[in-house]
Amino acid sequence: MMLEALEISKEYKRGDRPFFAVDGVSLSIDKGEFICIVGRSGSGKTTLLNMLTGLLTPDSGKIAFDGVAYDRLGDDELSLLRNTRLGYIMQGRGVLRNFTVLQNTILPRALFKRAEDPEAKAISLLDRVGIRHLADQLPARLSGGELRRVSIARALLSTPDLLIADEPTGDLDEETAAEILSLFRSVAEEGTGVLMVTHDLDATSLADRTLVMQSGRLRERA
Amino acid sequence: MYGRPHFIFSDIAVCNLKRSPFRTAGLISIVALLAFMLFGGSLISCSLFNGADGLAKRLGADILIVPKGYDQKIEGILLRGEPSAFFMDAAWLGKIAHFEGVRAVSPQLLIASLNASCCSMPVQLIGFDQETDFIVEPWIKTALPGRLSDGEIIIGGAISGGAGSKLEFFDREYTVVAKMENTGSGFDASVFMTMESARTAAEDFIARGGNLTLPDNAISALSIMLNEDSSPIGTTKAMNEHFGYGNSGIVVVPAKEIVSNVSGNLRALVTIIVALAAILWLLSILILAIAFSVILNERKREFGILRSLGATRRKLASLVFLESGIVSLFGGIAGVFLSALLILPFRTYIRDTINMPYMQPSVIALIGLTAGSLILSFVAGPIASLISSAKIRKSDIIDVVRDGEL
Repeated sequence: MMLEALEISKEYKRGDRPFFAVDGVSLSIDKGEFICIVGRSGSGKTTLLNMLTGLLTPDSGKIAFDGVAYDRLGDDELSLLRNTRLGYIMQGRGVLRNFTVLQNTILPRALFKRAEDPEAKAISLLDRVGIRHLADQLPARLSGGELRRVSIARALLSTPDLLIADEPTGDLDEETAAEILSLFRSVAEEGTGVLMVTHDLDATSLADRTLVMQSGRLRERA
Repeated sequence: MYGRPHFIFSDIAVCNLKRSPFRTAGLISIVALLAFMLFGGSLISCSLFNGADGLAKRLGADILIVPKGYDQKIEGILLRGEPSAFFMDAAWLGKIAHFEGVRAVSPQLLIASLNASCCSMPVQLIGFDQETDFIVEPWIKTALPGRLSDGEIIIGGAISGGAGSKLEFFDREYTVVAKMENTGSGFDASVFMTMESARTAAEDFIARGGNLTLPDNAISALSIMLNEDSSPIGTTKAMNEHFGYGNSGIVVVPAKEIVSNVSGNLRALVTIIVALAAILWLLSILILAIAFSVILNERKREFGILRSLGATRRKLASLVFLESGIVSLFGGIAGVFLSALLILPFRTYIRDTINMPYMQPSVIALIGLTAGSLILSFVAGPIASLISSAKIRKSDIIDVVRDGEL
């Protein structure tokens, strides 16, 4: 398995009362697999994704990527993993307002230098998500759907092994949402694992597996 | 076509600063104010010290004797170049010359020029006796080819003109044979001439309706150099007792008292300037630290995104550090430039306002002051950002992501 989580939990407090945002979740995803997680708001989906990307440390349980446990990696190694092998599309408009669309797309390369010039690939990805003509625009001039496409292009820049998307179609119209889901499907067919969290049950139609998150627990959809 | 192909880490900082112009301008202004005060304060302090040093070196006399009531006037002439004219009997020269402990005594005749073709302000004409002088000549020997003749003058550093040029006082033309270096003292606005020339200038002034009474055999002041084993204070006291203080018509003033008065005032003034600069430096760091902290909260979302893209905690901290460094660099340069622009050309005005000897430092010292001010300004931003950087390095950034509703 490429990514494997075993009995991971995360506890928070609301006032004085502790509660499990994620409660003993086990999950595995392989290359080329497209998994959807559905669940209500506050069911712990985003917390789960943040742990799977190494941004958040679980209170208990283990997460491993290609057999290497996260708890054996330092901040530098985990950051490099996020930069090179994971593509994370965060909930909301995850672009930086001070940077153009192109600059936002090549941001990961500014964080970790690599020999190749990322611009050509970034342009081709912007073309693939249909916003090449907006490359020089600042985010303030873009619609919600266009901003989401910037995040997707950016997440694909490093040709990640796993694409993790948090509500990528949340506030999009049906047509745009369908285009994005279709894109995810084709990305999965190219060999990249896709793990997508969504409210939209219709969005699960293209997934290989659908899981349901409820009160911090994860189960297969019946 | 799409901007710079190689978008590197430092570009993130530059872009952030460029595209948040009000925030950046605010931060730069704080550092600029700091640099302005640091450079301005140190430049003025340095100029005051130079002025006092120049006066102490220039004032070769141990004791000055002036007519009673004119001790403040002589201080004004020496320190601030305030022209004045006063007289006493030249017979005092003989009396003082034989006083115990006196090694040399030289007279000066002071005439105030109310206007002159050379100057935008009145200048002090000082007639000195070349036979006995030990104050003026030691400072002009290098520039003066021979003895000064009647009708020839030496001008202070603040007076326009140079050797060979002509200046006119009371419709009589004088030839400049040498120019003194700037001292920051009243000598800079003085014109030195022979006793005979000074007497002629005074007569010219009276002849043109000037309100001046010049007695025969008049002098204005006596400069006294003592033997090495005589103290200025002791000799002053002895002279006052011998000639009868208050009844003799003269005042005996230890010259060092003038310098030490200046030094005392100077120390107080410089202490205030240095204290203000230090307080401002700390205050600026505090204000910047608060500003960076507030900005950090505003930028949680941005840091959350960068973190999700693979930015290490160290990288986020260095981004804050880099931005603060750029802000400090530009603020420092702007502050020093503005300060130099306001202070360097207005030295005369500053000297007149402060009422103390004032001489700007040499180019090398100016470079040193600039470098020092820039360094102190430049480190202020990064020091102020340390707290914010430490917060970023310690915090689990995903809490930031959650708080930022990403």
